[in-house]
Amino acid sequence: MSEILTFMGMEDQYKKYELFFGPNHPGMHGNFSYIITVEGHTIKKIDPDAGLLHRGFEKLVEQRLWMQNISLIPRICVPEPDINEAIYSIAVEKLMGVEVPERAQYIRTIILEMARIGAFLFGFGGIGGATGLYTASYWTFADRDYLLDLFEWLTGARIYHMFILPGGVRRDIPNGWLEKLSETVDYLQKRLYEYDRLIYNNPLIVKRLENLGPVTQEDAMKYGITGPNIRATGIKYDTRKAVPYAAYDKIDFEVPVQTAGDGLARAVQKREEFQVSLDIIKKAIQQMPEGSVRAKMPNPLKFRVPKGDVYVKLETAHGEHAYYIVSNGSDKPYRMAVRGGSFTAGLVYAQKALVGMRIEDVALWMATMDICPPDFDR
Amino acid sequence: MEQREIILKIKENFSKSEVKVFDEKQFSVFADKDDIVRILSFMQMIGFQQLAIISAVDWIDEKKFELVYNLFSYTHIQQVLVKTKIERDNPKIQSVMNLWEVAQMYERDVHEFFGIEFSGNDDMRPLILHNWKDKPPMRKDFDSLKYSNEIYGTFKKSEEV
Repeated sequence: MSEILTFMGMEDQYKKYELFFGPNHPGMHGNFSYIITVEGHTIKKIDPDAGLLHRGFEKLVEQRLWMQNISLIPRICVPEPDINEAIYSIAVEKLMGVEVPERAQYIRTIILEMARIGAFLFGFGGIGGATGLYTASYWTFADRDYLLDLFEWLTGARIYHMFILPGGVRRDIPNGWLEKLSETVDYLQKRLYEYDRLIYNNPLIVKRLENLGPVTQEDAMKYGITGPNIRATGIKYDTRKAVPYAAYDKIDFEVPVQTAGDGLARAVQKREEFQVSLDIIKKAIQQMPEGSVRAKMPNPLKFRVPKGDVYVKLETAHGEHAYYIVSNGSDKPYRMAVRGGSFTAGLVYAQKALVGMRIEDVALWMATMDICPPDFDR
Repeated sequence: MEQREIILKIKENFSKSEVKVFDEKQFSVFADKDDIVRILSFMQMIGFQQLAIISAVDWIDEKKFELVYNLFSYTHIQQVLVKTKIERDNPKIQSVMNLWEVAQMYERDVHEFFGIEFSGNDDMRPLILHNWKDKPPMRKDFDSLKYSNEIYGTFKKSEEV
């Protein structure tokens, strides 16, 4: 019956439809849109259309002092804001030649890993939301709140912390915070096994994710796919190992890899990296040295950064987030370019990968590839 | 390959280019505008698989735009910034989308925000700034305060209203 209908439809001038898969669609992550040309259920052409979320950070940064920018840039990446402060601070330190105290390096590592776990929990929930398993998103968002409570205790803010500054971190850890963090890590470890039962061993999710948009190793390198998604194809590369920053060179951890490169491999990779992040936090708590948390820096309202340019990239839950910062020796950055982790995957690779998929897979593909619209509209 | 060997290879093939080492994992190559496609395809050949970002810097005092092609190699673990300068009055350069497909979007982005033309890249529809009529906003002579005052009216404090 369906074949006859397809045959009759061949003459139809309305055979192809254009579908606006935008912010109005429940499966879309944030304010971004794909204009999809569909034939029946199959995607024939995809045209990304960004711009609904553009906030002009690159221009705003040029008009503010080096230190003022700390309160602006965390807003670039919403699910994992701390990486922005960290990249910016590391770039300024590299240009100024500042040595950061060891204790501050460990505190940075803990904060970055906590932010990473928070972003992974968002990601698990995203997979649940795209497959109709809403229990997953309720559970993960509730567990993320325990991390936000810890952040609030440490920094005074829940989402945008502005805690990592050029020269170190803002304050030392309060009494009892590390013990509470250990408890939360143990709790999340227990919850991870629950997630295994709920998400990763769930036959329905496994069936939906298997063979969803497989990425080859060549494509991953050529299209600039980074982070957990490139490791899901079998390339054992991690910025934390290859170009170490913070205290990652002093902490012993193993980088997991998958081989298949499909949606299931990408999801499982994130689950494995969640485990690695928990282990890193545990080790950082054990090895935490004593000492000061901030190097001596000039007056924050007056300091100037020497002439030069630097590219700094950090490993995040959705790929490599990087800044290219140029200073002309004045009290404001001359230029700052942001490389969002999923810029290329969401805008270029999507045009290739999504063709031939079905409409209902777009949201799930975006969830497994960690497409984050603030990366395009920065 | 070590960083030193890569730099030697670049020097051998492109004697005019200047190399500046930042640290053991990062260095920059300053090339001539006409050489840029040749040097980038050479870099791709010796194992720089990833084009991380194309960005531009507006050096308004020199009347030049600087284009920065940021490459990364998974085999050598090296980050290289390939730079070139073009005239600000007639900003035009050859596209590199034949080497990396991702260049298409980055060039579209740079075109939108700096007004640089990339010959060979045909798809320059607005991506982010729809209905933009002013000069490209990331140029240094674009005054964002003046623009917003013209478009949305001057901001008045509550006592003045």
